[in-house]
Amino acid sequence: MIEIIIDGKKIQAQPGMTVLEAALENGIDIPHLCYHPELSISGGCRLCIVKVNDGLNPIASCGLACQDGMTIQTRDEELTALRRDIIDLFISDHPLDCVTCDKSGSCLLQKYAYEFGISETSYDLEISKELFQDDNPIFIRDHQYCILCGRCVRVCDEITGVHAIDFANRGFESSIATPFDGPMIDSSCVFCGNCVQVCPTAALMPAARMNRGREWELDRVNTICAYCGVGCEIEYALKDGEILYAQSTPEATVNGEFLCAKGRYGWDYVNNPDRLVSPLIRKDLAHELGMTDEGWEIPEDSPLSIRKPKIGDNYVPVDWDTAIEVVADRLADTVKKHGPDSIMGLASARCTNEENYLYQKFMRAAIGTNNIDHCARL
Amino acid sequence: MNYEQLEQLAQEELERQKAFKRRMFCCTSTACLSAGAGETHESLTQAITACKSEENEVELIRTGCMGLCSRGPLVRIEENGEDPLLYGDVSTEITHQIVGKHVPLEDVDEDNLEDDEELSSQDILQLRESLRKAKKKKELKDHIIQLDGPFFSKQVKIVLDTTGRIDPEKLEDYLAHGGYKALSKVLNEMSPEDVCNEILKSGLRGRGGAGFPTGMKWNFVRQEDAQQKYVIVNGDEGDPGAYMDRTVMEDDPHRVLEGMIICAYAVGASYGYLYIRGEYPIAIDRIRKAIRSARRRGILGNSVMGSEFSFNADVRIGAGAFVCGEETALIHSVEGKRGMPRMRPPYPSTSGLWGKPTVINNVETMANVPAIVKNGGGWFADIGTDESKGTKVFALAGQLKNTGLIEVPMGITLREIVYEIGDGCPGEHDFKAAQTGGPSGGCIPAEYLETPIDYENLNKLGSIMGSGGLVIIDDSTQMPDFARFFMDFCMDESCGKCLPCRVGTVQIRKLLDKVIAGNGELQDLEALENLCELVKKTSLCGLGQSAPNPVISTLKYFKHEYDRLIQDQVPTD
Repeated sequence: MIEIIIDGKKIQAQPGMTVLEAALENGIDIPHLCYHPELSISGGCRLCIVKVNDGLNPIASCGLACQDGMTIQTRDEELTALRRDIIDLFISDHPLDCVTCDKSGSCLLQKYAYEFGISETSYDLEISKELFQDDNPIFIRDHQYCILCGRCVRVCDEITGVHAIDFANRGFESSIATPFDGPMIDSSCVFCGNCVQVCPTAALMPAARMNRGREWELDRVNTICAYCGVGCEIEYALKDGEILYAQSTPEATVNGEFLCAKGRYGWDYVNNPDRLVSPLIRKDLAHELGMTDEGWEIPEDSPLSIRKPKIGDNYVPVDWDTAIEVVADRLADTVKKHGPDSIMGLASARCTNEENYLYQKFMRAAIGTNNIDHCARL
Repeated sequence: MNYEQLEQLAQEELERQKAFKRRMFCCTSTACLSAGAGETHESLTQAITACKSEENEVELIRTGCMGLCSRGPLVRIEENGEDPLLYGDVSTEITHQIVGKHVPLEDVDEDNLEDDEELSSQDILQLRESLRKAKKKKELKDHIIQLDGPFFSKQVKIVLDTTGRIDPEKLEDYLAHGGYKALSKVLNEMSPEDVCNEILKSGLRGRGGAGFPTGMKWNFVRQEDAQQKYVIVNGDEGDPGAYMDRTVMEDDPHRVLEGMIICAYAVGASYGYLYIRGEYPIAIDRIRKAIRSARRRGILGNSVMGSEFSFNADVRIGAGAFVCGEETALIHSVEGKRGMPRMRPPYPSTSGLWGKPTVINNVETMANVPAIVKNGGGWFADIGTDESKGTKVFALAGQLKNTGLIEVPMGITLREIVYEIGDGCPGEHDFKAAQTGGPSGGCIPAEYLETPIDYENLNKLGSIMGSGGLVIIDDSTQMPDFARFFMDFCMDESCGKCLPCRVGTVQIRKLLDKVIAGNGELQDLEALENLCELVKKTSLCGLGQSAPNPVISTLKYFKHEYDRLIQDQVPTD
């Protein structure tokens, strides 16, 4: 452990930790835009500048490794003035239409402009690029809001590993582009949307979210992704019970802030009228069991009650207990008549490891067969 | 080849050269080429062929820069037993006069001339007629340049020692002028530590601009424990008007290569890259040729000069970005990535090319190394000032009578450069300011003409040594205009990674535009100063940190010109 002093406070830091990391970990907030804990260091936004050992020249703390005995000053009059000027410069190349912007409320630039009390730029407003691209149904790219922090480039390269986008041109003309500025669909993009997640401004936005409400009006529902056994945590943002977008939070234990294309965008089944919301048993079987065609009534307080599932003519919806009872009876019956090896179990990759373990245990111990396999083995 | 065999080659070449009664050097460096040296050389070749003189009468050599580029194309003649002569402005009109004067016109039977490889007998006859006429013409006085004049006598040549005197495409010629002797000394007599200490003792500092002690840098890399280390020679010279590195690479490529191999030996590197900007096709070509011939002679390869030391080198070509001269951006570029700087530390000496310890030195720094090793660090340290040793090559440009490439000892005053070497401003105009260090440098006004030029003094004046651009401005230039020119350059060349440089330079440029157009107000100057300070203090790399220098220094020394623009509200032009 090394000891450094930040703003007069003694702090223990791990060797190799940067000053910014040490500060954030200890509740000292240093403003930052391009830094992201999961990504490599860029050092481009210059907002995290600090003074080291009373030195005159400010140094960006995101790339500064902690050294034993270091004294760091994160805020003073000069640093605040410099940071103000930096935000001032940022918004000289960024439309200040927060009142109609969908990102308003979760935009980092807006947060810092508010923090430093800057309502308009003192320079000439000059927007470097006004390109708007909606060449795919998943997300939009609105370059006028882009502050070139490079988070999207790094997440694409380092986390998703496809490097579909990078900086193009240089200086004021710089922009984030696909190879030869072609459509996103022709690039190596896998539409995981991690770039959209880490974008601090409205430059990258989920297409389904546009013009559907302000950030603070949205309800948040946390859940676990059902697409595979990894079990990523997902946070759905809902307006009036309808999902606008899915994202993840840094607190998510399995996946952190990142999701794959399915988890992030594969939620249109949720409100689909064809979606099954309860077990079904065949009509003839239901009649055998003395049930009517009406079947099971979904309780009023269930989230599923908002829609009546559309059910085919040959099935009757039942509650879980009934369904499980039917299955158990039929399995026992089959084992008795034809022996345990007449049954085979195929497990799913969408279940967790533990669920799959239990399933094979069930096949071997309860049914009594080794006929057990898994779809991912094929 | 081992050293004895190379020495043998050198002796043979020397004898071959001595066999000629006179040697004629025609500068074909880029500056002279653009002044028509290609045609001059062709005309000289034809005229000499037409003379039909004995084989040992004259040798015509395509050589490199002789310094006084404003008088190009330049031709130098060394006749046995006589002082060398330098002719300037050698257009094709006077080549026949020069050949007529120096090369004897052999008596041959002109009625029975045979066709030459390139010239028909008819052409030869015409040329001989023209040569006879040229002989009768008046003297070439206007074209003779005094070699003992201040332009040459004030200079001390270490880096440019053999430039302009040897054929850059001929390894033997470099050997004949003492080339690769330093490398042989290093391999035979010195340990890597000795070499680093010798460089440290010499006080050599990086000639790329920052002035970091070269010996220290080498020691850092030498002490790194790594399987693989690299040497990179930075030939991405981007300052407008500066061409020191280009000249050294074009005209004395083996000197750079020798310095590089010595460096590799000193730090324990086995591979090196010469990073040359794509706009220097001749330099790329000549360095490549030099690498090839060095490899053929066993100076590069698995056993350098027969020793156990192994080193290979290759060329990497820049794609036209000024920022790639910055070492971390350069490393990205060599790695095949977009040339954008990253934050330091870690410095390249600990984590450079592909994460390995890497020495990056400027071309001129490397070119100093062979002479230091040959003559000892103490010899080098005797030249220059306390803090800055040796010489510095400047590309002297702007409103001066003599412009070109000069190598002067550190500590020379600006006055000596402007009024003695440069011979003052032409016409009625007076000296106003000197701009050093290219777009990242500042302007030094006339009151500091007596300042000895070295790293510290230039920094104190708000400028930098830089790579060696030196632009002289006379009183016909308005300083805000001048500052705007360089601001434009930095704005275009910003890589776009960090905000202050990307957006700050654009806003500085806008404010300058406003003031120069006569629409400025007093608070605009304040805003300008404030913004320059922000860009200087908070930019990520050297480009951004020094981009506002031209504006800051002109605001400091020529505030009255800005004030006048504000008060009169009149545009400068």
